[in-house]
Amino acid sequence: MLVLFYILILPLLAGGLFFIPGGKKLKYQLSLMVSVVHLAASYLIFAGLVAPELHQWFRIDAFSKLFLLILSHVYFWVVLNSWHFLNRPTVYSPDKSTKIFFSIMNLYLFANTLALISNHLGLYWVALESTTLCVAPLIHYYRNKESLEAMWKYLFLVSVGIAFAFIGILFLAFSAHGTDIIEKGLFLSDLIEGSSKLNMVWLKAGFIFIFAGLSTKAGIAPMHPGEVDALSYSPSPVAALVSASLSGTALIGIFRLMQITAGTPVHQFAQVLMITGGMISLLVALVFMFKVTNYKRMIAYSSVEHIGLIVLGAGIGGAALIGSMLHMIFNSLNKTAMFLMAGNIHRTYNSRETRDVKGVLKNMRWTGILFLTAFLAVIAMPPFGLFFSELMIFRGLVEQNRFILLAVILFVLLFIFIGMSRQTFSILYGKAESEGEAAEPKSEKFNITHLSALVLLLLLASAGLFMPAVFTDVINQIAGELSR
Amino acid sequence: MGNVLNILFCLSLLYLATTTRVTAYLQVFVLQSILLFFIVMMPLLNHLSVFTLVLPLTILVVKAILIPRYMKKKIIYELEIKTTIEANIQQFNFLLLSVFSMVAVFVSCNLITKDAAVDPIPFAAAFSSVVIGLYVIIFRKKLIVHVIGFLVMENGIFLLGIAVASEMPFLIELGILLDIFVVVFLMGIAINKISSTFAADEVSALDKLKN
Repeated sequence: MLVLFYILILPLLAGGLFFIPGGKKLKYQLSLMVSVVHLAASYLIFAGLVAPELHQWFRIDAFSKLFLLILSHVYFWVVLNSWHFLNRPTVYSPDKSTKIFFSIMNLYLFANTLALISNHLGLYWVALESTTLCVAPLIHYYRNKESLEAMWKYLFLVSVGIAFAFIGILFLAFSAHGTDIIEKGLFLSDLIEGSSKLNMVWLKAGFIFIFAGLSTKAGIAPMHPGEVDALSYSPSPVAALVSASLSGTALIGIFRLMQITAGTPVHQFAQVLMITGGMISLLVALVFMFKVTNYKRMIAYSSVEHIGLIVLGAGIGGAALIGSMLHMIFNSLNKTAMFLMAGNIHRTYNSRETRDVKGVLKNMRWTGILFLTAFLAVIAMPPFGLFFSELMIFRGLVEQNRFILLAVILFVLLFIFIGMSRQTFSILYGKAESEGEAAEPKSEKFNITHLSALVLLLLLASAGLFMPAVFTDVINQIAGELSR
Repeated sequence: MGNVLNILFCLSLLYLATTTRVTAYLQVFVLQSILLFFIVMMPLLNHLSVFTLVLPLTILVVKAILIPRYMKKKIIYELEIKTTIEANIQQFNFLLLSVFSMVAVFVSCNLITKDAAVDPIPFAAAFSSVVIGLYVIIFRKKLIVHVIGFLVMENGIFLLGIAVASEMPFLIELGILLDIFVVVFLMGIAINKISSTFAADEVSALDKLKN
């Protein structure tokens, strides 16, 4: 139980304590400490070195282990960079936002951890809704028109979406009517064990509602708009947090449902639904990659694309499922680095529009190089991890003889690559049109954001080549859970 | 008696389709919340205890007092919101749509719940509320009315919870209520800010963010 204290109670306490006015620096240092402790504890749990005895309300299985590590890791880098972010000169006056920043971050960590380790879908729902509530004020950090609109849309769309997910949970409860699962209290572990006893029609209805509802939060098309707006207009560290960790928290709910349906006739239906969702996400990303004029929005659509790939891989199963879990890890590393660099560009050029930003590689040496590297990683160049995970997903498709689907996916990915590189190269290499706009080439100092992005990208490259055995173990466990 | 309350709940939805005043929308929400309180209380009457009273009373306090008061004072009065809802479609068409949807929901609920141990009337009432709540969100322009639509939907989901799965643990129900309260609170703050930063005609559009 002691581990639960470190990963759950400590962030909650920190979140509560920080509402007391006090030094920003102290709050930052304490938050960083909390995040380091959380990371250490998650790693210990992940590696199986600590196996906490849990109350029946909590459950730590292979899914929770993996997603907890992803959350903890992303959160650590975001908190580490937040000091640099909060102290940079900006044209907006976000003083009020700065005051509550660390409290909300800690509460977010608490709510997100609770969602990942809950053994009850009701508890999961409550925690998931709480993460929305924590993220909303963070999206509104700059307190300007765009961020306000983005916050409103995120809060409203996601709340309505999650309300639908709750209908799905009620249907699931209904599918267990007349079985002993209800008497035991409708816990997830009982649902998974006794899935054959459930009423299949209601289980199917439950899956549809939960999948559609959680899509708003995970950013699966066609329910993605709230998520995309939030990613494009929130401060970069927050965008990194939402894209790299919060999408995963919504996805784990869908995977939990897959766990329940595994071994029942509904599983195939669920798989078809997930493949459809994944394909629509890829197509939407393709269309908008050519329409966006805003580089942060471009990354947001890239997020839709990769979440789509993850859902698609999980729907296909087999090798593709393993690939999709790897993709989950790699995507979180890559998106964190990418959003941090986009934040640097935004700070220097004061614009999110692609047409206002030219010659980053010349003006901002480090940011330019790292953004380019992150871009190469996102389009799945070897040796970056995303290459290997996408390859695994394709292998899964080949194993199941789904060649037409594979061809369509490759075609879509190719054009997404073209659309994305057009914008990225215009940012990196383009020349400013008028002389006045051309900023003096400044020697950019190597700072903590660059160090973070560098480490993340190095991790991404090395993880593709040398995957530690413990990761493969956990991912194999996940695959086992879903193919009972 | 339970069915009477559920039917009243449905009738309140029809009132939503006929009125054009924002305050009336809020009153319908309050009425629904009070009905919900009685629906939750009904099965508890035989074995009353302090513990079982906590949930119904929390519903009453949060949904029938705190949220409406907050919305009335902080949003409707402070922002001097005009009293009419701005509809995207004709009122009569909205009523027709609502009635047809409710009939469809009732008929289909009657069919799908035949072989299951569930009472079709609360089930259908709950689903109608979810559907009408969604219609309110889709076919009305004002943000505050959207929030009320969301709340009507939430009421429907709550009723659904009572109809199909009273097994949801009590602590979870409280957690959900707390979440909803904070959602409305944050939405209220957002509406306040939106009306002070956006020009009046932009408020209902909110279409700055585009690709």
